[in-house]
Amino acid sequence: MLQPTEIQHAAEAAPEKFNAAETIIGHVANSGHDHPLIHLPPVMGIDLSVTKHVFMLWLVAAILFVAVTWLVRRYVRQDADRLVPSGAMNALEAMVEFIRDSIATPNVGRKWTRTWTPLLLTFFLFILGANVIGLIPIFDVLALLQHTVLHLPDESFLVRLIHGGTTATGNYNVTAALATITFLSIIVAGSRAHGFVQHWLNLAPGGLAWPLYIILIPIEIMGMFVRPFALTMRLAANMTGGHLALLAILSFVFIFTELFGHAIAGVSVGLVLSLPLAVGISALEIIVVLVQAYVFTLLTAVFIGMAIHAHH
Amino acid sequence: MGIAFMGAGLGLGLAVIGAGLGIGKLAAGAAEAIGRQPSAAAQITGAVNLPLFLLEGVAILAEVFALLIVLLNRGA
Repeated sequence: MLQPTEIQHAAEAAPEKFNAAETIIGHVANSGHDHPLIHLPPVMGIDLSVTKHVFMLWLVAAILFVAVTWLVRRYVRQDADRLVPSGAMNALEAMVEFIRDSIATPNVGRKWTRTWTPLLLTFFLFILGANVIGLIPIFDVLALLQHTVLHLPDESFLVRLIHGGTTATGNYNVTAALATITFLSIIVAGSRAHGFVQHWLNLAPGGLAWPLYIILIPIEIMGMFVRPFALTMRLAANMTGGHLALLAILSFVFIFTELFGHAIAGVSVGLVLSLPLAVGISALEIIVVLVQAYVFTLLTAVFIGMAIHAHH
Repeated sequence: MGIAFMGAGLGLGLAVIGAGLGIGKLAAGAAEAIGRQPSAAAQITGAVNLPLFLLEGVAILAEVFALLIVLLNRGA
């Protein structure tokens, strides 16, 4: 009498309960630090092992570098009198002109456009590229392949590649690095326009009553740090939030399956509720991706312009 | 006893109300201005862009801090 129920209990306890929080956070966050993709030795106490977001950064950089360099070289190699863009160069040229004419020149001024447009273009293309690659579920397809067909051992590169999220800009460390570049660019822009000392003196405009300076200077210094911090959090939170919402909606399928015990409950909920919502949120994500790249670039241009035109 | 969670939820809701009201006023002002002078539509859109995203950034900052409160209090 005891043995069949024991076997029954063992059979019921074998599959794990679906932990929605763990699965979602696992899909959105970086791959763990204890099992990185490529293990590198620590340099001066800092572990430089390649995690998934680092790998995605390199991937995005490589793709952008190859694409843009190849396109521009093919364009420039034409006869110097008649430079006619063709194919994808049209898109690149439209993007460059858009950033130069509507983001760089109005904020930075004609004199400094050529100086700062390359930085703004790099920001825009890199953030756009990293965001868009996060939307493409290629690594989830690879995970499907791994679980059904390949069954590679746990320590292989492909299996480690499958864990963790692919949106590199969803990691606040990545966006903090970009915001640090903005922070330094503001200082460099002000120093080049007015001289190093004068840039700092421009923080507190002259001609005010002296008690105001006691309030103004700490506020300006705080503002100097808060603006890049806001840039960091805005980009990281927007990217992570979209993926989080998408995964939470797709988790309904599994939660309902567990609740009712039959797979058909989960699948029906999935078809009626999850799939349309997921499609809608993915469409919204496409807009958010473009907007966030644009906003980061625009705000960088605005802050650089504020440092250059500080004597208004 | 979960009062941290209540605080985080309440704070986030208030922040979202504030952001919604602000962005709504921005959109209303922009729509009215474009209605009065349709030829300036591009400039008005450009002027609206920056405060819009700054305000959205404020809401997102609130979300981040609310999440921080929740995550730091899960163990306690």
